Amino acid sequence: MKKIIAVVILLIATLGFYLQSNVITVKGSDTLVILAQRWAEKYMQSHAGITIQVTGGGSGVGIAALINGTTDIANSSRPMKPSEREKLKQRYNSLGVEVKVAKDGLSVYLNEKNSLKELSLEQIKDIYTGKIKNWKEVGGKDSKVIVYGRENSSGTYVFFKDNVLFGADFLASMQSLPGTAAVVNAVIKDENAIGFGGAAYAKGIKYVAVKKDNKSKAYEPTEENIKNNNYPISRFLYLYLRNRPTGELKNYIDWILSKEGQELVSKVGYFPVR
Amino acid sequence: MKKTAYYFLLFGIITCSTTIAQDSTASKVDEIKGEVEGIKESYLETKSTVDALKKIKISGYIQTQFQSAESDGAASFSGGNFSTGMHNRFMVRRGRIKFTYDNSISNLVLQLDATEKGLGLKDAYVYFTEPWLQTFKLKAGVFDRPFGFEISYSSSNRESPERSRLFQTLFPGERDLGASFEITPQDGLLSFINFKGGMFAGNGVNPEVDNQKDFIGRLGFQFPFYDENFAIDGGISTFFGKVKRAAGKNIYLVNSSIFPHTISTDNSADRNYLGLDLQVYYSIPVLGGFTLRSEYISGKQVGSSSSSSTSPTGLFTGDLYQRNFMGYYFMYVQNLGEFNQLVLKYDQYDPNTDVEGDQIGWNTDAKLGTGDVKYSTFGIGLVHYWNDNIKFLFYYDSVTNETSKYLAGFTEDIKDNVFTMRIQYKF
Repeated sequence: MKKIIAVVILLIATLGFYLQSNVITVKGSDTLVILAQRWAEKYMQSHAGITIQVTGGGSGVGIAALINGTTDIANSSRPMKPSEREKLKQRYNSLGVEVKVAKDGLSVYLNEKNSLKELSLEQIKDIYTGKIKNWKEVGGKDSKVIVYGRENSSGTYVFFKDNVLFGADFLASMQSLPGTAAVVNAVIKDENAIGFGGAAYAKGIKYVAVKKDNKSKAYEPTEENIKNNNYPISRFLYLYLRNRPTGELKNYIDWILSKEGQELVSKVGYFPVR
Repeated sequence: MKKTAYYFLLFGIITCSTTIAQDSTASKVDEIKGEVEGIKESYLETKSTVDALKKIKISGYIQTQFQSAESDGAASFSGGNFSTGMHNRFMVRRGRIKFTYDNSISNLVLQLDATEKGLGLKDAYVYFTEPWLQTFKLKAGVFDRPFGFEISYSSSNRESPERSRLFQTLFPGERDLGASFEITPQDGLLSFINFKGGMFAGNGVNPEVDNQKDFIGRLGFQFPFYDENFAIDGGISTFFGKVKRAAGKNIYLVNSSIFPHTISTDNSADRNYLGLDLQVYYSIPVLGGFTLRSEYISGKQVGSSSSSSTSPTGLFTGDLYQRNFMGYYFMYVQNLGEFNQLVLKYDQYDPNTDVEGDQIGWNTDAKLGTGDVKYSTFGIGLVHYWNDNIKFLFYYDSVTNETSKYLAGFTEDIKDNVFTMRIQYKF
């Protein structure tokens, strides 16, 4: 009896392990979604039989999907939190695998008609926490600041909160929009608006140069400034996996980090890591 | 002249119409602006209500299982003894519902267990984190004892159906009534260590019945090596407690097979444990992650003549038996792909390390009996995760007991192996 049960359990386990698929699912960061789609399209062109499905939703959504087993790759514009690592550890006995795939300057957008050219990190913080309410308080015209941001499932939201607001809460009246593209559109339409997001989306609007503090020089989020860490709000973009990749998943990750994959990073507007 | 008057009239009409139209457009824009402002106000009001409601979290799980034992009425630690004349059964092993009010730095938790056996309290506590460093925390109420690893590892996540016999005996119900203090540094080198410790009534979830308080605490560490996908966690735990002696009753120090044992004249017996726990995690390429967990506990345990467990619902009314005990377990969980886990577990609990085998029961006056018998259990199982909510568990427990030719019912290995098939739904 004991032996039969033991053999049946081992047999089911082995069968379950060998049932694998050639579909790779990718979910998460809206900042990364366009780049991830370009990678997938290009890779599928040269690898017949492999299907890569890419969806956005935000870094938090992608990481949650990685934990509950509904995606193979989580795109994230922020590092995984210790609490998320802990959940992976509990379910998969793995801390997860982090792959840095691109670098990004988190840009602060203004409408092109706004005369302001630079802001310090502290001023940005004060605007986003509601302490500064009028553009004239930072040298602009006498108009109310209209604040746009991201939803709290977004990695950009978390990164901005941690690295610009230093953990403080966003002001309650901030209009939270689903995706960086929506933030950009809102800023284009409103000359009193301010928003933030990845550099890749910031076309048709104006970047503000950012100063680390009042005494520092202001830098724009250019490739050079981001690569040499002069621009104060730069970050890596990540892919997260449950375990060390093998098979097709490994081939795909290797290709993303290859010259061909990293060229797409530049084309989309981010900065390659290799 | 008539013509000129006509043009003037026409011009006047057009100008008036345009002005009226402009006035009308302006008033429409004002109206829409007003509506948008109204919607915005309403949105902010709704948002504040939704934000408040988001603080209330409800979670829970139900575990329903079918079990088959080797013999009718088998005594078992796999969900309790089988009834007389029965060797298989359906049961709702756990039906938990947990309400949390999460106000960031202060939380309130209430957890109930509803099964066919009735409704029971599992957790009822408040949890407060100081807001500055978010390192020091205070917890008070009924909650898990801060000892070792397996107690605090949720039954909904655990890969074996039950905790080891060791923990079920020493910490029945896992919870106790008391208050604890936690230190969990968030940053720097100290973020790898943590401490939890407090004073407890020592009577499980039952009302307190004496002035004795137990100290329970654990100093733990967590070393994650993210690049290697390797982690090593562990801790050292202590329990210093007392069990009060009833008037006119004795405390027997059961450390030999000769009777009478040494009789303590103290008003209470010692209940002292020292525990070590270690968990290793590593991800094997191709195969998946695994964990190897182990715990070892030894010390002094207080029980009755027939049981080594300390789980009174009131004061002990009989003689107290203080034994030196030892127990440990090893558990190996190997992920097989994304949805399956293979589980191997071995545990041993020796309630009295000073006696063994035929010494138990050879002299009826020695009062060494079922409470002194050593058990070991080997378990093998498979966990299958159907989706995020549902998981299946197939598990076989092979139990071996110490035998004594003088102890009735224990002259040979008892037929008490148990096979469990369980489905769990968690939300």
